[in-house]
Amino acid sequence: MASTSKDNVQNSCSHDNPEKDLEPGASHDSILNPTDSFEEFASEMNTSLEGRPTDVTKKSSTISEIQSEIGECSKELKETKSSENLHNKDEAISSSVSNSNLQEENGDDTESEVDDYLKSPELVNKEKHVFILSTAGKPIYTRYGNEDKLAGLCGVIQALVSVVEEQNRDILRSIITKDCKAVFLVKGPLILVGMSKSNESETQLVLQLTYAFNQIVSVLTLTQLNRIFEQRRNYDLRRLLSGAERLIDNLLIFMEKDPAFLLGAVRCLPLPEKVRENITNAIISTCHKIRDLVFAILIAGNQLITLVRMKKYTLHPSDIHLLFNLVRSSESFKTAESWTPICLPKFDATGFLHGHVSYISEDCQACLLLLTVQRDAFYPLSQAKHTISDKLRRSNCLTAINDALNRNKDLTTTNPLKHIGIPEIRHFMYKCKSTAQLFTSDPISLDRLQDYRQRHKEGGDVVKNKVEKLSDMDYVRNYREFCSKIHCAQSPAKLIFRSNSEDTILAWITNGFELYVTFDPLMEKDLAIRAVDRLLRWIKNEEKRIFIMNAPTF
Amino acid sequence: MSRCDFKIVLLGSEHVGKTSLVIRFVNCRFNASTPYQNTIGAAFCAKTICVNGKPFNVGIWDTAGSERYEAMTRMYYRGAHAAIICYDPCCLESWTRLRHWLQELRTVEEECKVYLCGTKKDLIDSDEVRREVPEDIVNTYSQGLHGHCLTSSKTGENVEELFQKIVEDCVADINVMKDVKELRVQLQKEDEKKRVYCFC
Repeated sequence: MASTSKDNVQNSCSHDNPEKDLEPGASHDSILNPTDSFEEFASEMNTSLEGRPTDVTKKSSTISEIQSEIGECSKELKETKSSENLHNKDEAISSSVSNSNLQEENGDDTESEVDDYLKSPELVNKEKHVFILSTAGKPIYTRYGNEDKLAGLCGVIQALVSVVEEQNRDILRSIITKDCKAVFLVKGPLILVGMSKSNESETQLVLQLTYAFNQIVSVLTLTQLNRIFEQRRNYDLRRLLSGAERLIDNLLIFMEKDPAFLLGAVRCLPLPEKVRENITNAIISTCHKIRDLVFAILIAGNQLITLVRMKKYTLHPSDIHLLFNLVRSSESFKTAESWTPICLPKFDATGFLHGHVSYISEDCQACLLLLTVQRDAFYPLSQAKHTISDKLRRSNCLTAINDALNRNKDLTTTNPLKHIGIPEIRHFMYKCKSTAQLFTSDPISLDRLQDYRQRHKEGGDVVKNKVEKLSDMDYVRNYREFCSKIHCAQSPAKLIFRSNSEDTILAWITNGFELYVTFDPLMEKDLAIRAVDRLLRWIKNEEKRIFIMNAPTF
Repeated sequence: MSRCDFKIVLLGSEHVGKTSLVIRFVNCRFNASTPYQNTIGAAFCAKTICVNGKPFNVGIWDTAGSERYEAMTRMYYRGAHAAIICYDPCCLESWTRLRHWLQELRTVEEECKVYLCGTKKDLIDSDEVRREVPEDIVNTYSQGLHGHCLTSSKTGENVEELFQKIVEDCVADINVMKDVKELRVQLQKEDEKKRVYCFC
């Protein structure tokens, strides 16, 4: 039923585009690094065994670059600091390795018991499995069940990967059966495997595995991860990751549900332009004198409110997604100010930034992250946070944030479809490519995500039930195939229009944006295109609210 | 610079209940329904405690028990006036780990007052669990230290008392109080400087 075309439809689409020069949401400066993740993963998929980077840490470290820039006038201080840093890092690893518990897996499990476990309800019939193991075959993480009991399975995975590598000089990428895809990704000392019965493409699964890998890097740094396994190939990484499993669990759920991952973009909290400006200014005026501060990020409910950065440095959407995930997964930030090492893999996988993380106030669910290269900057940042929070309260910004978060009915952005007034449109999502930002007609509400998470804890099984009210999460599923056709490396489609008795979907990619729209069933093509035109005009109109249009620096 | 008079740091293995202890003390609550979540990095809370009618601002560092943060923990207990090392009396491993922290503190922060704290007293009292750490061993260990107590974050038993005792011990210590006074003077000067700066 699908038809892909690059023909005249597109021309008719753009002939009365209101502002041809700039697509909605585009601006000259971007706070985010808009590198398309898809291109990156396509290239990941094309690497040969010889071309696989063995030492990913060769790239110079951004963090030490910043440290040296700041430290120019206080060189001596810096030198002692950084040597101390190194010293401590070494210590961390040697101590953890020496403490490592080298108990071998208990060999009492008889073979039949192991087989039985693989057939237990804990593991059978799940929609998607994710396994992470070391290249030595030691289990590190499983989405369902207990890694300890999966040593046998991990052995098989490890054998499969290494046989293909050693005997065929090739890379095992995937195994596809009638109803299941298994995707393999070898990254540094880890093997990641995703097995899905859902409609995700191979590339989309690799993308999710890469995120899971980045999540591990984010708590350990790549340097430490590599070094641990260089020192002891057989190391049981679970010791160091204890507590971080929940970050991976949540990330996996989050990736299945939030279109932001599918499109490699960040969602912004819709706010009046003036309010966002006030918030940004409050942060800049408080923080501009704190020299080692690299990023100040205010987020709420997986949406970006503002990001102020050190000149020259931008953040990649996937790093922001990891921050979203960290904040969403940690209750402890709500009760106290946190001071925590955070590694942002795209920014600098080799080292930690130090983050002051806290909710802006008890009556506002916005979380402020102040990221610095200075490991003992807690007190000045703590003070800065209190100043910022006072300023925001006085200028009524907290109320504005709460209104947007609670989806106050008076805001046009709360229910965009109603406001746009095209009844045939059921759902849309729009990504501005140059700024890597995203807007959808029905942002996932936090409660719903929470519900889903609760349900997921018990299940995650393949189920077929009809959902009554569709939301972002459900549409994402439908858009997946379109998204992979549009990003297909061999023959990418520019415009896809598919209409059937359930719904009509239009997916359109240009140099500036990506747009996915779901209409009522059996919609006619020219009608759909006229609606899309109106939709784009609405987005252009609202762009200053729904996107961050500038790229403020300290 | 810290605006706190005293710095107290909590150490101990993961899952012994350091965060619950702090939340009980600072926010006076305990939520039995929230599932366990490990602390990420370290969390900072402040609370004012009165001794002899004078208020003292106490900063409390709740550190992560996970092994991967171990190297970082040193920066939290640097300069601490007091340390509470927590263990779970029903978990022998947490007691064995405790000796590691003791040693660390003795070498790095000799002046730091050390208190041992056995957590989850309510569970022991109700005989729900078996005690794995013998009392006489705890007593022998705590002799050279500043104190030992059993607390329950669930009921709040002994929590307030523990922190009150720590602050009283700090106030009674002439050396510590000298630092506190110096710090207060310094902060006052800074504030004045800021005010002058603002007027220009």
